[in-house]
Amino acid sequence: MSAMRQIAIVSLLNFQNLRQRFWQSLVIVAGMACVSGVLLSLLSVTEGMQQAYQRSGDPRNVIIVSHGSLREDNSSIPRDQARIIMNAQGIARASDGSPLADSGFVTGIPVLSKKNGATAHVRLATFGKMGVTLRPTFHLVAGRMFRPGTHELMVGSMAQSKFKGMGVGDKVTMPNGQWPIVGMFATGDLLDGILVGDTEPVLQAMRHNSYNAVIARLEAPGTFPAFRTALTKNPALTVDVMRLSDWNMRTSADSAAFSHVLIYGVSIILAIGALFGCFNTMYAAVETRGREIATLRAIGYGSFPVALSVILEASALSVAGSLIGAMIAWSLYNGVQGDLGWDLFKLTVSPAMFGMAILWAIAVSILGGLLPSLRAARWTVADALRAR
Amino acid sequence: MKYFPLIWAALRRKPIRTGVTFLSVTVAFTLFGLMIGLNATMDMMKQRAHADRIWTLARFETTGLPITVARQIAELPGIKKNSVMIYLAGYVGDPKNRAFVIFFDDEYGKIFPDQVPPQQADLIRHDRTAVVMNRMAAEALHKKVGDRFTIISPQTNRADGSKNWPFKIAGIYDDIPQFPGPMISANYEYYDKSVPLAEQGKINEVDSLAADPAQAAALAERIDSLFANSGTPTRSQTEKQIYSQGFGDINVEALTRKIALIGLLMIVMLTANVIAQSVRERLAEFATLKTFGFSNTRLIGLVMAEAAFPSLLGALCGLVLARWLALQLPAVLPPGTGIPAPTMTSAVFLWALVCACGLAMASTVLPIARLSRLDIAAALSRSA
Repeated sequence: MSAMRQIAIVSLLNFQNLRQRFWQSLVIVAGMACVSGVLLSLLSVTEGMQQAYQRSGDPRNVIIVSHGSLREDNSSIPRDQARIIMNAQGIARASDGSPLADSGFVTGIPVLSKKNGATAHVRLATFGKMGVTLRPTFHLVAGRMFRPGTHELMVGSMAQSKFKGMGVGDKVTMPNGQWPIVGMFATGDLLDGILVGDTEPVLQAMRHNSYNAVIARLEAPGTFPAFRTALTKNPALTVDVMRLSDWNMRTSADSAAFSHVLIYGVSIILAIGALFGCFNTMYAAVETRGREIATLRAIGYGSFPVALSVILEASALSVAGSLIGAMIAWSLYNGVQGDLGWDLFKLTVSPAMFGMAILWAIAVSILGGLLPSLRAARWTVADALRAR
Repeated sequence: MKYFPLIWAALRRKPIRTGVTFLSVTVAFTLFGLMIGLNATMDMMKQRAHADRIWTLARFETTGLPITVARQIAELPGIKKNSVMIYLAGYVGDPKNRAFVIFFDDEYGKIFPDQVPPQQADLIRHDRTAVVMNRMAAEALHKKVGDRFTIISPQTNRADGSKNWPFKIAGIYDDIPQFPGPMISANYEYYDKSVPLAEQGKINEVDSLAADPAQAAALAERIDSLFANSGTPTRSQTEKQIYSQGFGDINVEALTRKIALIGLLMIVMLTANVIAQSVRERLAEFATLKTFGFSNTRLIGLVMAEAAFPSLLGALCGLVLARWLALQLPAVLPPGTGIPAPTMTSAVFLWALVCACGLAMASTVLPIARLSRLDIAAALSRSA
């Protein structure tokens, strides 16, 4: 009889009498459901944030920040440098011949949260002439665009639902007076959580004279290395040039890194608990099935199929539990609006995270089932038949 | 105590099972300790926040505040002491080694003696390029007292056009739990005399001490209304208000409590199963004890003690482990995240004790129900 066939038969036997060990087996299912439920619920925050960041950005877009900046808000591009950058070679042109590049500014505006009235900040970013063209997913949902050069703002759909006084027609307190919100927009990415105004009036109001970053669209994605070299070698500039997609990936990875230490720390501790539960259950299962295992061994089944069947049973239970936990996390949090720091986004439980939950379950069941399976393999025929 | 040998024998019957139960309880309480310990630290921070300290910042971060704001605040009736500070953000060597310096005037040390030890504040008062820092910052920069280092500030220009700020370390002090994260302090005069003329006289924050803590919140409102229509509106809050706000929408306390609870629930299932199994296997034994005249209550006591032993011991070991882990946390977490280390206060121990007892009781409910229905004859005959 082939080993595969033996494994199949022994495993089938296991699953058939699983019903007699229902409550014990539930320990593994529930334990793993707890682990993956907590893991995926917490990860939905960082996953949602990272996906929002990664959605923002046409592949041809590049960002220019001051040298050594890790975030847009601690970069600073003086006006003279911005002018040189916008006229650099390699930047695509609009139909009127002007470069597809925009220098922008970001700052925070104090607001109140709708949920509990707590003071918070909403990010205010600015668009110049090319602001909308550079962001192809930007579309108006209500009201109208702000008029260039005026004290008008627009609000992203998520910022509107999270903060008080952010409706179209509401007024926002700026350092130089009340600015009306004239429209609401959506982009499907991070911008949905912010306010947008025209660059120059906002800079004036904020008494600031330099931009934070320049965003530009290249003529072709392949020209990036040459474009970067030209700017970084230019003695009049002290800047870093990155593809916008890479920049977003790095920024979001940086802000997720800290949360990940905490999330994985908590989940690993829980997983160790689940591992002990798995060990205990499988150990008891092997003990109670001593006679059955011995009989199998006596009629010629190898020790390997018997051992493997124990791990297979543990894996099946723990994967089932893990999927239950993942489903709970998904139904509770997927698509719910959340925030981390100043970023607003939709919490996400992605298919890849389900895959991760399954992998965790398999890892826990192999580690937890290993010793019991060795115990099963080591039952001698005589021992086992004597066992009650 | 005379039943101890009985309980001990029951625990030793299946040493692996008892050991694993103990270990899993330990794991659950390690998590419990870290989570509830974090709440304990945050509670402590809230309690230690001073009601009489008022922090005044610019309502819009980019406008900054002119130092004249501090002078006007100082003149308000009810303000006892007043200080100013400004920060510098930059990095040392590589942009990844972020560094953050606060420059403050001579009064600051008197208002925040709990944040910067007074003798350390004195060190920077006499020497312009001197800084003092906490241990966490010194470790992040790999520096010791007497070392020199340069901070590069991408956003802040000096009068000479450079972005390099040389410093000398005059002192290093122990970390203060309620001000987590690396802290580097320097003299305000150094900053103010180093920046271009147009940038001089700017500050980020005015910190004031109210004469009467009960009036502090009203004073903060007064400050804001004083500057509401100026070019640099302010946002003032008492330290107490700031610390009681928490972390935006994320309710950290509820979250940590939920995680601790899930950990415990997971373990309840496990221990309940173990106890049930152990009782099931020893039904004949219990029947014999009953025949000897053991009452139901006594049998229940025996089972409970059997569950309580690994629960209580595991809870204790879990908290000790959590305490050790909490001490390692600052080295593991990236610096500057501002998450305080959990503390195992006596309240945490007390809650753990309550939960451990609850765990022991919850895991014995079903076996006990079975024991009280125990039919001696049936149990004995089955074992024969």
